[in-house]
Amino acid sequence: MTPAGPKQIIPVALLNVASRSPVVAELWKPITEKNLADWEVLWAPETAGQLKVLHQAGIERRLWPQSRKWDWRQKQEAFRGRLDNQSYAVMQGGETQAMMIVDLSARARLDEQVRQHLVYIDFLEAAPWNRRTLTGGQPRFAGAGSILLGAAIELSLEQGFKGRIGLHSLPQSNDFYANACGMCDLGADENYSNLRYFEMTPEIAAKFLKKGA
Amino acid sequence: MSKRTMTLNLSDEEMDALEVLAAKKDLSKTVLLRQALRLYQRVEERLERGETLFFEDEARKQKAEIMML
Repeated sequence: MTPAGPKQIIPVALLNVASRSPVVAELWKPITEKNLADWEVLWAPETAGQLKVLHQAGIERRLWPQSRKWDWRQKQEAFRGRLDNQSYAVMQGGETQAMMIVDLSARARLDEQVRQHLVYIDFLEAAPWNRRTLTGGQPRFAGAGSILLGAAIELSLEQGFKGRIGLHSLPQSNDFYANACGMCDLGADENYSNLRYFEMTPEIAAKFLKKGA
Repeated sequence: MSKRTMTLNLSDEEMDALEVLAAKKDLSKTVLLRQALRLYQRVEERLERGETLFFEDEARKQKAEIMML
């Protein structure tokens, strides 16, 4: 049986960091078997290699990428068929560059939009070769995280949530969400492993989309 | 993505409730009904696992179980 492909493919662009030139990519919805196989076959050995370098360089374990323990196949299985979860993948060169799962049942916490519906980003991870590493490794492609964040905002608009999104950030991504994306930082959430919670208002979302991924 | 259309007949009371909630949440009636379906599906899944749905008032230390139909 042929595995199911994405139901929707949207053309997007990533930045080739080495050449500083844009490259054509695709946004897939939902995550497919091909993406999960890439995670198993391509991401896992690359992550293991990066962890080995960090270990050999004496980098403290607490500073290693926390997403190393995420099991995308298990997550996708757990969310299969649920109306309140949707998933996305960024593809380039036939390889999965990033993945995201979102939840449509969450409510906002920021005072000005408290209890309003928003798109909550459950999980967002870039392929290990697209991450800046603590040992000076440069990403292959930049922009995958912004493309996925933009997709979450578009989904929020489509659902009538006005562009509101929210997420808990892993420590290495706090700077990206606060400064590159301009999200509101609501501080460490003691009910969620003390990860910082970030939220985007409709105004910030509009600015983010205008700026472009 | 493909979408299918259905006609929904509501009583005056049901339509009033839908309109009040949609206005309160600043959502369209369609979006609100979609949200209700998502919530119903998630709750049903948790109940089937043997879990219970509660409302909790932390200040009064009260917990009330929601009985689902």
